[in-house]
Amino acid sequence: MSMNGTPKPPFTFDDKDRVSNILSQYPDKQSALLPLLHLAQSQEGYISSAVIDTVSEIVGCHPALVMDCVSFYTMLYSKPCGRHIIQVCQTLSCSLNGADALVDHVKDKCGIESGETTDDNCFTLMKVECLGSCGTAPVVQINEEYHEGLSQDEFDQLLESLQ
Amino acid sequence: MSAFKPILTEHIHKKDCHTLSFYRSVGGYTALEKVLALDPDAVIEEVKASNLRGRGGAGFPTGVKWGFIPRGSEQPKYLINNADESEPGTFKDRLLMNKTPHQMLEGMIIASYAINCQKAFIYIRGEFYKEYEVLNQIVAEAYHENLLGKGILGSDYNLDVVIHRGAGAYICGEETGLIESLEGKRGWPRIKPPFPAIEGYLKCPTVVNNVETLCNLPHIFNHGPNWFRAIGSEKGPGPKLYCVSGCVNSPGVFEEPMGVPLKELIFEHAGGIRNGNELKGVFPGGSSSAILNAEEAMGVKMDFDSLEEIKSMLGSAGIIVMDDKVDMVQACLNIARFYAHESCGQCTPCREGTTWLVKILTRMVNGDGTERDIDMIYEITDNIGGLIDFSQGSFGKTICPFGEAVAWPVRSFVEKFEDEFRSYIPQLEPVA
Amino acid sequence: MPLLKIDDAEFMVEKGTTVLQAALANGIEIPHYCYHPALEIVGSCRMCLVKVEGMPKLQVSCNTVVSDTPPERKIDGKYDMVVNTQDEIVQQERKNILEFLLLNHPLDCPVCDQAGECFLQDYAFRYGNAHSRFEEEKRVNPNELLGSQIVINHNRCILCSRCVRFTREISGTNELFVEERGYRSKIAALDDKPLDNQLAGNVADICPVGALLSTDYIHKNRIWNLQEQSSVCQDCSVGCNVDVFYQKDQIFRLTPRENHDVNGYFMCDIGRYGFHRFEEIERVTLPLVKSDGNFTESSWEEAIVKTAEELTNAGAKSAGVASPFHTNEANFILGRLMDGNIGTLPAVTDEEVIYPSGFRISADRSPNQRGMNDVCPSIVEDFASTIEGKDIRFIYILDDGIDRKLDDRWKELLEKVGFVVVQSYAMTDMAKYADIVLPGEAPFEREGTITNDAGRVQWLRPSITSKGEARPDWKIPMLIQSKCTGVEAMSDVSAVMNEMGKEFPIYAGITFFRLGDQGLPLNGKGEM
Repeated sequence: MSMNGTPKPPFTFDDKDRVSNILSQYPDKQSALLPLLHLAQSQEGYISSAVIDTVSEIVGCHPALVMDCVSFYTMLYSKPCGRHIIQVCQTLSCSLNGADALVDHVKDKCGIESGETTDDNCFTLMKVECLGSCGTAPVVQINEEYHEGLSQDEFDQLLESLQ
Repeated sequence: MSAFKPILTEHIHKKDCHTLSFYRSVGGYTALEKVLALDPDAVIEEVKASNLRGRGGAGFPTGVKWGFIPRGSEQPKYLINNADESEPGTFKDRLLMNKTPHQMLEGMIIASYAINCQKAFIYIRGEFYKEYEVLNQIVAEAYHENLLGKGILGSDYNLDVVIHRGAGAYICGEETGLIESLEGKRGWPRIKPPFPAIEGYLKCPTVVNNVETLCNLPHIFNHGPNWFRAIGSEKGPGPKLYCVSGCVNSPGVFEEPMGVPLKELIFEHAGGIRNGNELKGVFPGGSSSAILNAEEAMGVKMDFDSLEEIKSMLGSAGIIVMDDKVDMVQACLNIARFYAHESCGQCTPCREGTTWLVKILTRMVNGDGTERDIDMIYEITDNIGGLIDFSQGSFGKTICPFGEAVAWPVRSFVEKFEDEFRSYIPQLEPVA
Repeated sequence: MPLLKIDDAEFMVEKGTTVLQAALANGIEIPHYCYHPALEIVGSCRMCLVKVEGMPKLQVSCNTVVSDTPPERKIDGKYDMVVNTQDEIVQQERKNILEFLLLNHPLDCPVCDQAGECFLQDYAFRYGNAHSRFEEEKRVNPNELLGSQIVINHNRCILCSRCVRFTREISGTNELFVEERGYRSKIAALDDKPLDNQLAGNVADICPVGALLSTDYIHKNRIWNLQEQSSVCQDCSVGCNVDVFYQKDQIFRLTPRENHDVNGYFMCDIGRYGFHRFEEIERVTLPLVKSDGNFTESSWEEAIVKTAEELTNAGAKSAGVASPFHTNEANFILGRLMDGNIGTLPAVTDEEVIYPSGFRISADRSPNQRGMNDVCPSIVEDFASTIEGKDIRFIYILDDGIDRKLDDRWKELLEKVGFVVVQSYAMTDMAKYADIVLPGEAPFEREGTITNDAGRVQWLRPSITSKGEARPDWKIPMLIQSKCTGVEAMSDVSAVMNEMGKEFPIYAGITFFRLGDQGLPLNGKGEM
């Protein structure tokens, strides 16, 4: 949401062809909302109010409807996050396979609680619900990639490679 | 172990099994050629004859679902492939998309043809990015090889396929929540009627089928409905993917006929309970099914009817195994928390009740449980989802089955492991 | 037509009717929150569950269409559907839903503005449990302004989504949305796109609980202290039906009253809050006579004698100005008094607004242009041009009131007229030019009929009494006429209506009784 008095710079999509390609796939414009928000988030890192305005204009709906969606879906972030978003699955199969200890370990290693971002903006930690990879629990998703059957040692190595 | 030879997952361990050239080398898209020579109504009849039942959780007969699509209406018809796999304990569709995506796509084209759909969608769970890329690749291949687009394989049938990513909401696995989401809205399930077959995506007739359901179709047309009906349980035949996770030695996805003993899946396919521990409880059909105790689990067959008989369900066949080291109150809280997080918030009982359960269970786990809590859990779960007893008929308290999906597992945890819940309630010291 | 049985009552219903609609139309209460007749059905509150014979689950009555059962499957040989709203299981289910809705609800009825007209309070009393079994910490969110005049108390909200659907389906302005999901769901508007459309006030009306409140009414009074009068809004020519809530001579709020031939269920904020502009004005409460440029108070008798004299002296060199802000009866009598020598001022207009639902705010911001023209057929619209340059010795003006901005042309004109009579409730610009000011009633004090721009005659009922020695607006010109002619004045407004009907057949037979609270179309479908 905009701060009173400070005009926000407008958001524009870098990949205009991709935008028109997305729009061309659907019988109506509003169906393109989620793909456009995914695209915007991959460019901007999160769904800013400027993104909301731009996307609402493209699909021809009120910005409130866009915010309605953004706030509903867990993968759409309305606040900036770190470069690497570490999502540790907490649901039953992962929990039965060490996810609780793993999340404590991640907290220790990164020095942040769930929902927080490190000071250097490198990592954001999120405890999430079932990622649909229960057979290879515990699973951690970092940005778009799944890391399955992850031990604490393997996590440490992964963290090092990302820093 | 049975001598069953996998059908849907026969080739998943082979190199490049996801590619079109591989799929064609094992007979891929020959079923589609047969289907394109048939009248769409005949295609529906074949699927009805096979008695294929949906693999997404509800088990509705696929051919019957297609048959609800109005004939001859001018409106466009849509097929949506429900690839929003999110039921805890379930990870079969992800495997199918990774390893045999063309099998799924062939099934989609067959289903689309049967209902006269010219634009089909794959609604894939947003987190499955790798699978999304696989799908992009294979759909491009299919267009290139005239398996999609105009005049498919020389016929006069046209079909476009759009891959649509979800954005993180379990409820979008429910078909009307999914349709809302595809329309660019929050995934609030719709009140029915109207059903999607009449008013679905953009108010047009729509069929939503699960990935695994669609994967069965090429085989039905290659081998015939009688062949399919002969596999496994009579009332819900066919091959089935079972996902086993939790406290087992070798978790994974295993293909067996409908009706395979649960015991066989846990102790043979999944290598038994880890660390030599004892079996304590099992979710047979994802976390939305009622939990089974060890005795029930050791005796039940994995099909729609057998599980319903013992007041649970086949659901998505996501089997979560818990051993005797698992604290069932903690496990129950874990599941209740999942549902509280995923409740869409539309219906009163589910929105308010799920978090109420979490609050009570959290308090119990923190050592502040009271005598009344157990009764309250029974009452709250009944008020969200109704009784587990199918014959009592007082369920259906929410717009979508999410109410039952939270009520049944939580209630069954308490029912079957009540002593453990009682042990969490601090006992007052008798006054000397 | 299907035959429906609800509990012990049976009715024939139109095909396609839902069980809830049928029940409500026949005076059977089925408690409900998310259902609103003007909005799409969502079936989410689950309060309206009923037992339907032959169906294993309870059904939400809002989305259950009364079935048309083939003859061989009729229940008891005749019913198409049999519904039970009193079964034990239904009653238990209502208790359950109310318990969920009240979990986080604060116990603040004593300070809640909705108290007394709250469906949560009413249903909890009628159908709920006496005690809460919820012992956990409550969900607490601070109040927020959704727009300049609507505040939300999240803790009282039951997420029925009526308000959100209103902004999507009725106003089409879309400002409101549900933020978050599940237990954290709440109604929101974007900071930079607040709920500030001209229909915004309706969301407070349709909120079934005390969550959405108009800042204009918060903590102003308690509903049980207020009296309620059904009337008609006078702020544009649509004539929305309203209920005026007042205590003694103070109006506290206006809410829309259902009328499917006029406004449906809603009204605009111009009309809703418009009553405030009459609160602070300086009222004229006694006849005023100008001498040496100053007004001095006079008796009615004196003022009427003087006016009658001046009119008689001016003879044909006199003119009247009718007003679309006044009732048909006042204009009719003025027209008679001036013997058809009558005109009007330019219409008071503003932007016309038409909402996607069809709800309309007329460009004509006066309530009775249509009726005034009907009962003053010889009226001249551009009256200034007509009388400019003529020798007008006497002019009688039915004042439009504080909404009239007097232009320079009229000011010049009035200065030239020998004798100016202004009938008004306030010392308006117009009244300042008067030689005599005759005190009439302000809008919420008037009684009579007005005719909206669609040709519907409606009963304008007074909610508060007139001030000082002000007299009904139809009565003043009548007294003057009586003085001039010696004919006895009619005693009440009904007699005027009767007289009006004789002269103008499209108004024949219209009585307050027949108008009721829904009004009537003009005879001959409103065409002369």
